[in-house]
Amino acid sequence: MSSSSLALISTSTLISQGAEAKVYKAHLTSDQSEPPILLKHRFRKGYRHPTLDSSLTRTRVAGEARALLKCLRAGVNVPGVRMVDSLEGVLGIEWIDGQSVRRLLPGGAEEEDDQSEADSEPEVVDLLKEYAVPVDVLMQLIGQEIAKMHLADVIHGDLTTSNMMLRHPSSFKPRPSALPTELVLIDFGLSYHSGLVEDKAVDLYVLERAFSSTHPDSEPLYTSVLNAYEQRMGKEWAAISKRLEDVRLRGRKRSMVG
Amino acid sequence: MPGRVRKVPLKNPDRPYLALGLEGSANKFGAGVIKHFEDGSTSVLSNIRHTYITPPGEGFQPRDTALHHREWALKIINECLVKAEVSMHDVDCICYTKGPGMGAPLQSVALIARTLSLLFDKPLVGVNHCVGHIEMGREITGAQNPVVLYVSGGNTQVIAYSRQRYRIFGETLDIAIGNCLDRFARVIDLSNDPAPGYNIEQEAKKGKRLVPLPYTTKGMDVSFSGILTSIEAYTLDKRFRSDGLPRNPNDEDVITPADLCYSLQETIYAMLVEITERAMAHIGSKEVLIVGGVGSNERLQEMMGIMAHERGGKVFATDERFCIDNGIMIAQAGLLSFRMGFETPLSKSTCTQRFRTDEVHVSWRA
Repeated sequence: MSSSSLALISTSTLISQGAEAKVYKAHLTSDQSEPPILLKHRFRKGYRHPTLDSSLTRTRVAGEARALLKCLRAGVNVPGVRMVDSLEGVLGIEWIDGQSVRRLLPGGAEEEDDQSEADSEPEVVDLLKEYAVPVDVLMQLIGQEIAKMHLADVIHGDLTTSNMMLRHPSSFKPRPSALPTELVLIDFGLSYHSGLVEDKAVDLYVLERAFSSTHPDSEPLYTSVLNAYEQRMGKEWAAISKRLEDVRLRGRKRSMVG
Repeated sequence: MPGRVRKVPLKNPDRPYLALGLEGSANKFGAGVIKHFEDGSTSVLSNIRHTYITPPGEGFQPRDTALHHREWALKIINECLVKAEVSMHDVDCICYTKGPGMGAPLQSVALIARTLSLLFDKPLVGVNHCVGHIEMGREITGAQNPVVLYVSGGNTQVIAYSRQRYRIFGETLDIAIGNCLDRFARVIDLSNDPAPGYNIEQEAKKGKRLVPLPYTTKGMDVSFSGILTSIEAYTLDKRFRSDGLPRNPNDEDVITPADLCYSLQETIYAMLVEITERAMAHIGSKEVLIVGGVGSNERLQEMMGIMAHERGGKVFATDERFCIDNGIMIAQAGLLSFRMGFETPLSKSTCTQRFRTDEVHVSWRA
């Protein structure tokens, strides 16, 4: 039992509880002026058999770290890895100042958490303005980033608008004449390595479904994501596009007319 | 739902309404009578079911199941009306399962519904089976806006309500969870009485050893066919003892059928709880409602309870009367849409094997 990771957690602040992990903001050193890191603790799940639980946690933490490193090497915008403790289920990554794409798009802000409910709706437009990115450029960024990741043969496994962030302009030093922000893909907890057209198509399909269920009125946006993806993928696109058509028909008992 | 408060479009009825519900999309034929009162309350007057049980090692074939339904329908409906102390003339509408389900059994029930409708001059209401489960679950448990895990022999879906649709957030990519359990019960020759899943649950209580199985969650979707293949392969393993007994005192490294039931349950239910948790985190809900036949499994309910507790949420589940396919849920969902002015004209009173949960316009909810 490496209690040093747990000790670190005990001095950190809990930010949120996601689907499978608790997320903390922590400082690796006592120097508070150092940039903070984000700790993702896959805590023990009481409902799961202990053996099953520990083996899942171990493989997921290691897998996530591995995928992040692979992405970093390929130049995909992802948070950098700061520490890994797969036995305790703790992963420390770069702290990203910004906002999830989900909250920046219409429809996504509601229902997320209760306290910000009252003021969330008129904010949507303002939020995007703060990042100085029009919606269609944001969609292009999403498409490009996914394409870069897929070209590195990394499959995200859980592409949703909650798992993408825009860096806040104040914390980002862009190259000259570039956008004041960048899109960062996060949460590689379900990612894996694969070069198969099938897996890439399924990855895109997961995002498509997430778009239509979280942002019911913004389905056309997804088309521009795909366009940007297409450009970046080059000649690989033809095969993926064809497979994506198949995948769409595959959901169970989806009406098979036409 | 916080934020925008929309008004519930369903008004309290001006008089009590009665509906007869007929269900027969799989191997159960069910009939039930439900009553909606002026004050908005609801009462289940009767809920009768008969299950077509096949010998161990066999599943139910569509043809034989349809035959079973035709044989039992009139007896069950009569018994149901007698128990409810109502006559067919008092009923406001006849609700039947339009789909999804097995073709032949669905057709038998639709035929019975049509005949009754013509005989007594009552309107017909075609009901989506999945929506029936959800509405009955909500009615019985009082859950307001839960994430719904619908698990049965033919369906595995994680559903949440949004803008008058039950939207499917995750589902199985291949076979349903109940199908996986049923087929495994056949492999190890468990009885189908009262249900294969029930017998697996009892057997699993004796299991001790967790054998490694694939763990196939993909985002909010799951897949069970590979797990079924994998657990079937264990029955051909040289450590497998079909009688569950070691061959000699030194025979310690053994796998028993109980171990397999235990491992199967632990693995697939953990997957279900995980995708439900994912959906809860995604939409920010704290309530879970489990419906469908597999929902009566106590281990699944227990695991879901632990997960909900860890998240500060609450789990709602019903017992076998309302979990397993029944007529009353069809009556409930049908009567809700009937009160909103929905009727299925005779010429459209068809049934369909493919009828997705999100195709139904949920007019009665805000």
